[in-house]
Amino acid sequence: MDAHIKKVYVPMTETGFYILLCLQEPNHGYGIVQKVKELTNDDIVLTPGTMYGSLSKMEKDGLISFEREEQKRKIYRITELGREVLEIEMNRIERLYNNMKEMRL
Amino acid sequence: MKDRKTEFKWFTITQYKEEEEYLSKMNSKGWRFVGVNLPGFYHFEKCQPENVTYKLDYNQEGIKNKSEYVQMFSDCGWDHVLDFVGYSYFRKVGENTAADEDIFCDDESRLDMMKRVFRGRIIPLIILFFCVIIPQLLENGFAERQSTIQKVLTTVMFIMGIVYLASFAHFTKDCHTFEKGLRDEDSIRVKYYAIYALEMLGLIIFLAIGGLLVHNVIL
Repeated sequence: MDAHIKKVYVPMTETGFYILLCLQEPNHGYGIVQKVKELTNDDIVLTPGTMYGSLSKMEKDGLISFEREEQKRKIYRITELGREVLEIEMNRIERLYNNMKEMRL
Repeated sequence: MKDRKTEFKWFTITQYKEEEEYLSKMNSKGWRFVGVNLPGFYHFEKCQPENVTYKLDYNQEGIKNKSEYVQMFSDCGWDHVLDFVGYSYFRKVGENTAADEDIFCDDESRLDMMKRVFRGRIIPLIILFFCVIIPQLLENGFAERQSTIQKVLTTVMFIMGIVYLASFAHFTKDCHTFEKGLRDEDSIRVKYYAIYALEMLGLIIFLAIGGLLVHNVIL
């Protein structure tokens, strides 16, 4: 993984993380918005400017790839590189979570 | 009672926040935004006063893939109004939405938008500045005999130049402050100091030309 990808995506934003997490299954931007709403009980509502910007940036950087278009909605899927980044982030968050549990008073 | 009106309002390319507020305010006074022309004529149509949030995005990628770009916004409840000089205007009626409704939900993506504005607008204008406006000013300003048109043109270019330089510096400062809050200060310092230096250089050249011009005209 090159330095640029590491610098930009490790650690990544909550939006970025949820996008990669959801794109393990092919989905479009609005599908991700709905999925994240469902996963977080409406706490996190991703917005279109952020979604559109993140999706095009991630596609350009090769973390996700365009699959097909359905009713004017672009469907994306995670790539190998995307999985690698997601794996690093999952491990980081797992460690964060374990340390939190251990040190919680 | 007229049901259409046009107002002149001049926003520099980096004052999109001010522009959003202006359009929202007009809507709450019963004037719905319907169009805009250069250099800043805003057209409105009479409507029921209502709370509408206006937001501007700057995304050339989105304008190139317009139908899916607009679709994403409309899925999320935003109506696309129009595109103007690279900006896309969106609005959302505010009845059941929070006051702080936005098209961006994290600071990273807000900064990304500022960077797109920077790359798409400011950098080309800085180049235009050094390669066209400054040489042109020098040529016009020091021509032996100047026609009235040349004088007017020189003055307009001079004023525009100052206004733009000031607005770039202001925007650069905004970007810097914003990015400082997100990242390690050391990693971005060099970049911003280089941009500040370029802007200062532009300003100094400008003021020097201005001084010479005034000197030439008066004496």
